[in-house]
Amino acid sequence: MKTLVIGLGNPILCDDGVGVRVAAELAGMLEDSDGINVDVIEASVGGLRLMELMQGYDRVILVDALLGPGAPPGTIKRLTLSDLERITPPQHVASAHDTTLITALQAGRRLGLALPESVVIYGIFVEKVDEFGEEPTPAVARAIPQATAAVLSELRAAI
Amino acid sequence: MKRITIDPITRLEGHGKIEIFLDEEGDVANVYFQIPELRGFEQFCVGRPAEEMPRITNRICGVCPEAHHMAATKALDALYHVEPSSAVKKLRELFYSAFYVTDHTTHFYALGGPDFVLGPDAPKAERNILGVIHKVGVEIGKQVIDCRMRNHHVIQMLGGRHVHPVAGLPGGWSRALTAEEREEVEAIARQNVDFALFSLKLFDDIVLANQAYVDLILSDAFTHRTYYMGTVDANNHVNFYDGMIRVVGPTGKELVKYHARDYTQHIAEHVEPWTYLKFPYLKDVGWKGFVDGEDSGVYCATPLSRLNAADGMATPRAQEAYERFYETLGSKKNGRYEPVHHRLATHWARLIELLYAAERMLELSQDPEITDPNTRPVVETTPDEGVGCVEAPRGTLTHHYQTDENGILTRVNLIVGTTNNYAPIAMSVKKAAQSLIKKGTVITDGLLNRIEMAFRNYDPCMSCATHSLPGQMPLEVVIRDAQGEVVRHLSQYI
Repeated sequence: MKTLVIGLGNPILCDDGVGVRVAAELAGMLEDSDGINVDVIEASVGGLRLMELMQGYDRVILVDALLGPGAPPGTIKRLTLSDLERITPPQHVASAHDTTLITALQAGRRLGLALPESVVIYGIFVEKVDEFGEEPTPAVARAIPQATAAVLSELRAAI
Repeated sequence: MKRITIDPITRLEGHGKIEIFLDEEGDVANVYFQIPELRGFEQFCVGRPAEEMPRITNRICGVCPEAHHMAATKALDALYHVEPSSAVKKLRELFYSAFYVTDHTTHFYALGGPDFVLGPDAPKAERNILGVIHKVGVEIGKQVIDCRMRNHHVIQMLGGRHVHPVAGLPGGWSRALTAEEREEVEAIARQNVDFALFSLKLFDDIVLANQAYVDLILSDAFTHRTYYMGTVDANNHVNFYDGMIRVVGPTGKELVKYHARDYTQHIAEHVEPWTYLKFPYLKDVGWKGFVDGEDSGVYCATPLSRLNAADGMATPRAQEAYERFYETLGSKKNGRYEPVHHRLATHWARLIELLYAAERMLELSQDPEITDPNTRPVVETTPDEGVGCVEAPRGTLTHHYQTDENGILTRVNLIVGTTNNYAPIAMSVKKAAQSLIKKGTVITDGLLNRIEMAFRNYDPCMSCATHSLPGQMPLEVVIRDAQGEVVRHLSQYI
């Protein structure tokens, strides 16, 4: 099984870069001896572009910042695509510029693209994403090793 | 005074909103428009080496990193007083053309186009790329994705990375093109030209052949007579990468043509007490409020504006399409075409720009200089101040840096594409609201759709840079009576 881990977010927008940091940490911890067929990348994209990056993989694990009520900053939440579908119905655009990931994946499947069977999202609740800065807030920073460990154990469990 | 609040909330928290104030008669008095603010960019940059700016600024926005990268690179040219060789300029423009092809393709097929391809009254859930695929067929959907993929490949090849390019250097470009790569780019550019011609034909068949759509484009609700801005070459033809900034009035008369470095002499920013947004306007005309006309300094910078501000297109087929556009929608007076003021025609203008970008990419890919390996000049000058400017897909993009003698940033100012259009967007939203709110009667059904269409044709960049889940944008309308009580609450995702 070929897996792609994508750390999503903007590394110069404080907590928004948390997914990118997890991906970097994960890439440093993976060893060839693990026997896991995985690529780890970072990206600051959504919708169509994100869907296109997933082509050719059997499984994708996204790591992204999650903003909203329901949990304190630093809380890690594992979501499936159907969870995501409930919060982003496939209607129009995600930002003013792009489709939601759900719509993009549906479009990609309709077009016969080789898209993963399984897409899992690790969301990390964040607080500060509207200010430029390279450092995440303390609670979010503390979640980085935990989220990395969670992704790593999910990768290993599937071997 | 009655107040209606429309909240385009990014991420689950409320950030931006549109507020519509009614007068005592119950008619629209004013529209206040606010969008999310990302704070602290200048402070983030000050103290860093200026050479990092092409890589920092391309992180501002996940939608058009290529535009920021290019404006930043050009600002470094000016900052270090180094004129790029013609081979470097051509390489950069080749890269930039590939970016334009992907960006305009995506907007037409996935974002703005669905309103036309499916029709403005089609159910909300169908007006997206899935609906377009359903209507025009899987084969065309595949072509759209293929077009994006092959041009992303070129962007990666020439930009050095798959999303956030790294190739820009002061006076140079770190990725030269090999003979083999050149052949590949030429083949891709040919496919792009075919695809652009096909897209214009599709627009003809679906939109122009349908009188109801043409009437919609020509309707007063989507019309504003303003000034227009765009970058032009020496022949006053549209150029995305370089040239002079030209501004024309509502009749097409040239107001001013200036070098980007002189932007502060021509553009000022108007401040309103109700928003932190600053509204750029033309200094030579002056700020007269959110109003149309020759006496109002409001200007617009979009694909439609660029066509209006130019005398034509620099490539043959785009020029044919340009002429057809003005024959159909405009008129020729005083030896030039008069500007088209119908905002929904921006979608058509975007396709003409798509064709130009594709043709320009083909020309550049065939240029003998394009494989020149000498693309990294040695820079030995002392930096001080520099302005770099390109046409981003969403409007003229300006980067302005000042540094100390070691190239450490002391001041940074950016005017991003959408900023130019803040006042016109507010005016278009107001007009859309006016057509549906009369004497206190609010036609709620069409309100959100109209506002959304008015909004979307500017392709506004609302929430640059962040992609936090769920990354959606619910449009929320709160209607309040004269006492401020909420009488109605509507929302939908845009």
